[in-house]
Amino acid sequence: MITTSQQIAIRKGLLEFAVLKVVGVGSIYAADILRRMQETEFATQEGTLYPLLSKLRRDGLVVYQWQESELGPPRKYYQLTDLGREQLAALDQYWKTIDQTLQQLGRRSGLVTES
Amino acid sequence: MQRIVQVSLNRNPWSIEVDAHARLEVYLSESAAALASDPDRDEILLDLEQAIAEQCKRRLPANATVISMAELAPALEEIGPVNPSSSASATPGSSTAASTPPLQQISQGAWLSGVCLGLARHLRLEVTLVRVIAVVLLFFTGGAALLLYGVLMMLMPFAPLDPQGPEPSSIPAKAREWTELLRAKLATLAR
Repeated sequence: MITTSQQIAIRKGLLEFAVLKVVGVGSIYAADILRRMQETEFATQEGTLYPLLSKLRRDGLVVYQWQESELGPPRKYYQLTDLGREQLAALDQYWKTIDQTLQQLGRRSGLVTES
Repeated sequence: MQRIVQVSLNRNPWSIEVDAHARLEVYLSESAAALASDPDRDEILLDLEQAIAEQCKRRLPANATVISMAELAPALEEIGPVNPSSSASATPGSSTAASTPPLQQISQGAWLSGVCLGLARHLRLEVTLVRVIAVVLLFFTGGAALLLYGVLMMLMPFAPLDPQGPEPSSIPAKAREWTELLRAKLATLAR
């Protein structure tokens, strides 16, 4: 993966958005969140994900429920709250706006000529 | 064969070789320090312990029950260092003008353990001044100043390493390692 500092900054800024996306698909266990993200630009590690999930929970965007597991102790399954869903929808919208803005900025016709 | 100790990971007992145990304690105390300002610190630490246990278990050869460096090192590598996510946490070094920098030991650029460097940053003084005062105190008080330094070493949390900064030189790096080991030992005793 090519990693210029700009790309790193973009990925870092979008990590929270990406985690909300993954949790938004349905109730999910932290290790599966990591697995989903592993093959993507947003590959991350427990050391980063756990504090982030904690923060999202404090912000009221996600909640977790304990679920029994045959493989060991009970696991935390995360899902979005109503507020989390709202936030995700708003982010989705914002992302589209930003994308359009960037396209526009790169177009010649958008140039405003000063007179 | 190495000596084996018992350790509790997310409240489950595990057997672990002593050198792996030391490495584990260092990882956990570094994580605790990184999460110092996180309200969910204890919960995150338990989650990390659980992840470590699962990762090690997956790597253990069949029939083996004792965790060694062979499992722990790659497990910690995969879990990665703790990256605090608290919105309130300011990055060290880029201290904003308004707030006082926290009182921490700073390994990068330290002579001994970074106590003077940390005091200087906290009090917004020149580090040279703080060091001169420390040396003068050492001369006038004999052993007492050394004792004070030792106490501060034990009490002041270590500032997270700045990835853009220089590597800590060998004395501060060793001082940090030993202090963290000693703290971990004391914490186990206190339990």
